[in-house]
Amino acid sequence: MSRKLSVALALVVTAAMLLSACATPTPQIVKETVVVTKEVVVTPTPVPKKVLRMNLGPGDVPTLDPSLATDVSSVQVIELTSVGLTRQNEETAAIEPGMAESWDISEDGKTYTFHLRKGIYWVKYDAAKGEVVQVLDCQGKPREVKAQDFWYGIIRTLKPETASDYAYVLAFAIEGAEDFNKGVITDTAAVGVKVIDDYTLQITFKEPAAYNANIAGMWVAHAEPSWLIEGDECTEARGDKWTETGFFQGYGPYTLKEWVHEDHIVLVKNPFWPGIPSVPQAKIDEIVFRMLEDTAAFAEYEAGNLDVAGVPIGDIDRVKADPVLSKELVIGPVLCTYYYGFNTKAPVVNDVRVRRALSMAIDRKALVENVLKGGQEPAQWFCRPGLTGCPTPKDYPDLGVKYNPEEAKKLLDEYLKEKGLKPEDLDLTLMFNVGVGHEKIAQAIQQMWKEKLGINVKLASQEWKVYLKTIRDPKATPQIWRLGWCQDYPDANNFTREVFSFGGSANPAEGGGVNWKNDKFEELVVAAAKEMDPKKRVDLYAQAEQILVYEDAVIAPIYWYTRVTCTKPYVKRTFSILGGLEHIEKWDIAK
Amino acid sequence: MTRYIVRRFLWMLLVLFVVSLITFLLMHAVPGGPFDREKAVPPEILANLNAKYHLDEPLPKQYLRYLWDVFIPHISHIPPGTSLTDDHLINVKIGEKLWLKWMNFGPSYSSRSRTVNDYFRQQFPISAQLGTLALLVAVLIGIPLGILAALKQNTIWDYLGMGIAIFGVSVPVIVLGPILIWIFGVTLKWLPPTGWGAKPPFILGFIPSKLGPEFFKYAIMPSIALGLGQSALIARLTRASLLQVLREDYIRTARAKGLPERAVIFVHALKNSMIPVVTVLGPMFAALVTGTFVTETIFGIPGMGRYFVISITNRDYPLIMGTILLYAVILVLANLMVDITYAFLDPRIRLTD
Repeated sequence: MSRKLSVALALVVTAAMLLSACATPTPQIVKETVVVTKEVVVTPTPVPKKVLRMNLGPGDVPTLDPSLATDVSSVQVIELTSVGLTRQNEETAAIEPGMAESWDISEDGKTYTFHLRKGIYWVKYDAAKGEVVQVLDCQGKPREVKAQDFWYGIIRTLKPETASDYAYVLAFAIEGAEDFNKGVITDTAAVGVKVIDDYTLQITFKEPAAYNANIAGMWVAHAEPSWLIEGDECTEARGDKWTETGFFQGYGPYTLKEWVHEDHIVLVKNPFWPGIPSVPQAKIDEIVFRMLEDTAAFAEYEAGNLDVAGVPIGDIDRVKADPVLSKELVIGPVLCTYYYGFNTKAPVVNDVRVRRALSMAIDRKALVENVLKGGQEPAQWFCRPGLTGCPTPKDYPDLGVKYNPEEAKKLLDEYLKEKGLKPEDLDLTLMFNVGVGHEKIAQAIQQMWKEKLGINVKLASQEWKVYLKTIRDPKATPQIWRLGWCQDYPDANNFTREVFSFGGSANPAEGGGVNWKNDKFEELVVAAAKEMDPKKRVDLYAQAEQILVYEDAVIAPIYWYTRVTCTKPYVKRTFSILGGLEHIEKWDIAK
Repeated sequence: MTRYIVRRFLWMLLVLFVVSLITFLLMHAVPGGPFDREKAVPPEILANLNAKYHLDEPLPKQYLRYLWDVFIPHISHIPPGTSLTDDHLINVKIGEKLWLKWMNFGPSYSSRSRTVNDYFRQQFPISAQLGTLALLVAVLIGIPLGILAALKQNTIWDYLGMGIAIFGVSVPVIVLGPILIWIFGVTLKWLPPTGWGAKPPFILGFIPSKLGPEFFKYAIMPSIALGLGQSALIARLTRASLLQVLREDYIRTARAKGLPERAVIFVHALKNSMIPVVTVLGPMFAALVTGTFVTETIFGIPGMGRYFVISITNRDYPLIMGTILLYAVILVLANLMVDITYAFLDPRIRLTD
């Protein structure tokens, strides 16, 4: 063989190797058995399509499967393509009827009977026809959203093999759900979810809690298409891949048209959604969600290719000074809290006076105005105002912890005198995860402690996952650490209780985190969960917060999150406080 | 020659095995797991997740399971494209509801809707397209610039060419990218600021189905931003190498024979001076086609580069293994091509076993 030929051959062989490594699998014949009759003719008008272009943030949306979603971008799309039994109002965080028109609550407050709306159908986007069509059952009739679909969704979330992260919310709240999720019992009849008839679903909760209706409306409890996931006589099973382009079925105000992974998602208006008071029929025909990093998204916004975009921190000052952009800028609340936790069993910070002194010496207002600059609100306590049950600064101006350097100094001096120490003798470490933002905040607070209290706090940082292990390790938890918390469902229970009660997210029973137990606090948060009178509830949480951030000073709340966005003037929109979850079906475009 | 290539392929298998073992050990040695979140996952939920992904098994068993899934072909009843834990690169239908499947790189832990193979099918081709174009930019700018600088050594052309090269090396993509976007995307609006002009499925697994102006409109800025820095490297290398070759005896012989200067340079000198350049092209190719985190993020390109970084911070074990193995395969193949090219460029080099 001549050399040139063998070179060519070698190239072909390597090229073939390369290609086979990335070749798509052999195409399979897909049996498309769903026959669709065109029942409704959709908007025959030549009116130009209204298209809204937004950004969901860098990287792919992790999933569109309601059972598996954990993050804002996934939930954003899910809440547009399906609707829960109840639905949270995005501006007030109040609970409104969703797919359930109404519900009855039993005497003991535990059993909720949800009455479903009739005439809401499963739909999918038909690419060949270029329109949204109804999904038909094996008899050729449109599939209506029924109580069975909600039952299936909830049970699928709870199944151990689904391995849903957020199953814990349902497991925690619904009767029998925890054992089922653990695999201790396998009988679905033992789970407190029952189909009474096609339009009636009964859920039995463990506690007569105020937030039960919230939990019933969460994405993990949405209706899911069992025939599409598991297959039936006339539908091919799509398994884990049922949310992909071409397969996806939903019933919300929008449905999925296209999902190009890592790049964009296109939702198209569902003309079969009848419109209900809390979820009207969509006015915008199509939503294009890009998946861009902040700075790239803002460049697209300025180039006129996006209608809504978050403002990168580095651009906030410029945008505020710009005559056009400053008018398009809105700073709105987000239901999250940023805080420093104290390991109450660690040296020095095991004394409440030190903890309170450290917390009181933080000038939160200065921090927000000079370091963060995103309009964040200085936090006086943990529970984010705006959530059901959380105290607000308007009603409770003096609650919690406030900047008071004199008082802080006094407390610390008292401690130092008792121990016979000087401020510079104190050995304290503040740990945070690697990140420019966290570092800036830590340095600013380190400086405040130095100036107001005369103490030198060491800073330490770790890579995110290593850090999470460290702060939950009973032996390694640092004296002071940082974390944030965002709502899963809009209730104080999800904040004050689920995070800091003994065994909570930042207070593991095995140790680590804040390492703290206060019986009075535990009683208050349990009582608050059961309290039905809204005003009394807020008061109970206020008392619990006072213990958490002042009396025991277990944490130093730093700030409540906000979001800085620009919106083109032709977009008529609402501003969600639900951590960025927008109800776009209420928006319009008027060019 | 054939024996040489076969032997290199066998070596490659060994290299991949060693790479996979080291990667596996290292990633499990790092503290923190894929399901450590800001919101602590309750123990029973964690148990379900660990069981689903077999993370509750002892490490040696997990590693063997990985090797088994990736290297051993299976026969299965599960239709391809319905399960995240059973998704193979190669699927051959061998009967009614029966498939022969090969190479399951596992599900991604951080995306609950995709497998590592999905990234290979949909993201890797886009990175490869960008990388190939960037390499083309690098070669087309770098080599002529280097030749010019060498032939006009110590003249204004040399200084100008090397000045451009130094500029290219010192201005990173993270600076050049946003500047290009600002000028051509936002201010002049000639080009789309972000995005990519091709989407799956791809011809032969990696060629865009429509290779027209629409594609290049998106590709031009990122390819230049990414290729320019590399072109500088190539230019400097070409210059140095060509200058050295020009001092060789056989060049003097060629000139003494009375060959025209053009023939001396392009036929005799240039071919040999390309050896160091080709040597760096191999690893450069591997690095570029497997994706570049910064460029892809700045230009919003749905490529693979992001996952070389994110998979590690997420402790997304199968994706870490997948990206590293992909890189290893491409690197080994690129180096093999380099070695084959040597023999073509320099008659003194023979590939022997």
